Amino acid sequence: MVAARDFLWVVRSGDGAVRPSGVSARDHALARGRLTDVVRLVARTVVHVVLGGSALVIVVTVAGLLGPALALDLYTPPVAAWWTVFTAVVVQGIPFLLLGALVSAAIGAFVPERVFTRLLPRSQALAVPVAGAAGVVLPGCECASVPVAGSLMRRGVAPAAALAFLLSAPAVNPVVLVATSLAFPGNPQMVVARFAASLGTAVAMGWLWARFGRSGWLRLPEAPSAGPGTSRTGSFMAGIQHDFLHAGGFLVLGSAAAATFNITVPRSLLDVFTVSVWVSVLLLAVLAVVLCVCSEADAFVAASLSQFGPVAQLAFMVVGPMVDLKLFALQAGTFGRSFAVRFSSATWVVAVVSSVLVGWWVL
Amino acid sequence: MRRYGPAVLLILVGAAVLRIALLSDLYLRYVQGGLRPYLVASGALLGLLGLVRAALTARAARYGTDAADHGGHLVAERHDHLHSHEGSPRVAWLLVLPAAALLLFPPPALGSYSAARDEARRAAESVGAFPALPAGDPVDLSVSQFGSRAVYDSEYSLRGRTVRLTGFVTPGDGDAWYVTRLRVACCAADATTSKVEIRGPDAPETDTWVTVTGTWRPRGELGFPSAWPPVLQATTVVRIAEPSDPYEER
Repeated sequence: MVAARDFLWVVRSGDGAVRPSGVSARDHALARGRLTDVVRLVARTVVHVVLGGSALVIVVTVAGLLGPALALDLYTPPVAAWWTVFTAVVVQGIPFLLLGALVSAAIGAFVPERVFTRLLPRSQALAVPVAGAAGVVLPGCECASVPVAGSLMRRGVAPAAALAFLLSAPAVNPVVLVATSLAFPGNPQMVVARFAASLGTAVAMGWLWARFGRSGWLRLPEAPSAGPGTSRTGSFMAGIQHDFLHAGGFLVLGSAAAATFNITVPRSLLDVFTVSVWVSVLLLAVLAVVLCVCSEADAFVAASLSQFGPVAQLAFMVVGPMVDLKLFALQAGTFGRSFAVRFSSATWVVAVVSSVLVGWWVL
Repeated sequence: MRRYGPAVLLILVGAAVLRIALLSDLYLRYVQGGLRPYLVASGALLGLLGLVRAALTARAARYGTDAADHGGHLVAERHDHLHSHEGSPRVAWLLVLPAAALLLFPPPALGSYSAARDEARRAAESVGAFPALPAGDPVDLSVSQFGSRAVYDSEYSLRGRTVRLTGFVTPGDGDAWYVTRLRVACCAADATTSKVEIRGPDAPETDTWVTVTGTWRPRGELGFPSAWPPVLQATTVVRIAEPSDPYEER
C-alpha cells in the first residue's frame, strides 16, 4: 500500500528525475508518523476503556438498584396510555407502510418510465388532475402514499403530478369513502363533499407546485438500487427493504408525537370552542393535524364531533389525510424538511379553504 | 455485525407483529379485529425479507463482495445524514422501540384513565324505532348499544327486559359509578367512550372488569341531554378477567 502510494507520488512528481534520497527521507517521515499514530491510538483506546468502562459500571449499578422501583413509579396511567397509543399507531401503520413500500418498489423495478410518459398528459396542467383522480386506485391510508409518490418522481413523473397523487390517494380511495358513508348514515352529501373537497385540494396543490414550486426545495428521493449488476428482483427486494425501514423510522417519530398530543391535550378543551363557525372549522383543522387518526377511521371520529357543525367535520376529514404529524415526519424524511414545512403548511391552508367552499355549497 | 442491521430490524419488527397478531390476541389492545389478516401477512413478509437480507449479507461477506451494501453506499455518499454506511437508514433504528415493547412488555389496553379524559359522547342519532332486541334472558348488549336504545329508542325496547353489560369500572361523583367501554374504529388512538351509570351495588375497584345484570331505569326526556348517561338498576355484579378484545367495535 505504502509502496504503491510512493510509486504514484514518484510518477506524479513529473519530470522523470527520480530522486532515491528523497524517497527514503519520506519513508522515515512516514514511519515516524505511523509511530505517533500507534501511540495516539493506544492512548485513545485506554481513555475510552477507562472512561467508558467506569461509566458503564456506574450506569449498570444505578439502573440495577434504582431501575425497578423507578420504572414502577414512572409507569403511571398516563405513561401506560402513551405507550398504548404509540404502539397502536405504529402497529396500525405497518401493514399500510409495507403495502406502500411494495407498490413503490414494484414501480421502481418493473414499470418502465415510458408507461408514465404515455399515461400522463404531456402538459403539467393536465397531468395534475389526472394524477389526482388516479389516487382512487391506491386503497390505503396516508402511510402508503408517501413512498409511492417518491418512487413516481424517481420514475420521471413530474413532481406536481406525483404530489397531487400523494394528497388525493389517502383521501378519495373507495375504502375511505365507504367508511365515510358508514360514519354518516343517511347523509350521502358528506361523502360527495369529502370527495370533492379532497380532490380539489390535491389538484390545487399540484397546480400551485407546478406554478410556484422550486426544485431546490424538493430533495428528490434517491433510488435504493442494489448495485449496478443486480437483477430486477434484487432491486425490487432492496427497494422494499429500504422504503419500509426508512419510512418506518419516521412513522415511529410521528406516532410518538401523535401519542403525546393524544395524551396531553384534554378533550374537554374542545367544548370551549364550539362558539363560532369560523373558530370551530379552524379548531377541527388543527385537531386533525395533531390527532393523526388514519384516514380510514377519521370519519368515525369526525362523526363523534357533531357539536362543531358539518363544515368543521368536513374540514377535519379533508385536512387529516393530507396534513398530520405522522405524515409530516414521513414527508420530511423522504423529501427533506424544507419541502415538508412549505408543502404541509400550504396544503393545510388550501384544504381549509377548499372544505369551507365545498361545505357551504354542498352541505 | 453492523451490516446485518437491516436484516435484524426487519426480523425484529416481523417477529413483534407476529407475536401480537398470530401467537396471541394482544393485537386487539391496539387495533380493530379486522386488521388481523393484514398484520399476519405483513409480519410473515417482514420476517421473510429479513431472512433473505441476512442470507445475502452473509454470502456477500463470504465472497468478499460488497453487493449487499451498494444501495447504502450510493445513498450515504451523496448527502444523507440519516443513512449509515451499511445500507440501513439510521432513523430506522427507532423501530426497535415499538418492536421491543411489543415483544417484551406489551402495553396494556386503554382503561379508566383514557375514559376519564374523553368525555363520553352520544353518537349523533335521532329518536326513532330500533330493531327488536334479540331473545334471551338476560340479553347481552354492548354498552354503546344500551346507551343508544336508552336515549333514542321511541319504542322503548329496553322496557321490561333484563340486560347484561360487560365493561370496566370508572368512578363518578360521590357513590356513583359507571360500567365503561371504549370503542375503537381503527386503532387505539381514536378510542371514544361510552358508559352506563350503575345503581344498586357498591362500586368495585376502578378498572376491574365486571358483567352487570339488571334492568333499565328511564331518566330525563327521550333524545335530550337529560336522558344521559343511561341508568341500569343492577341486581348482580360479577368480576371477570379482562376480555381479550377490550374494545367495542363500531
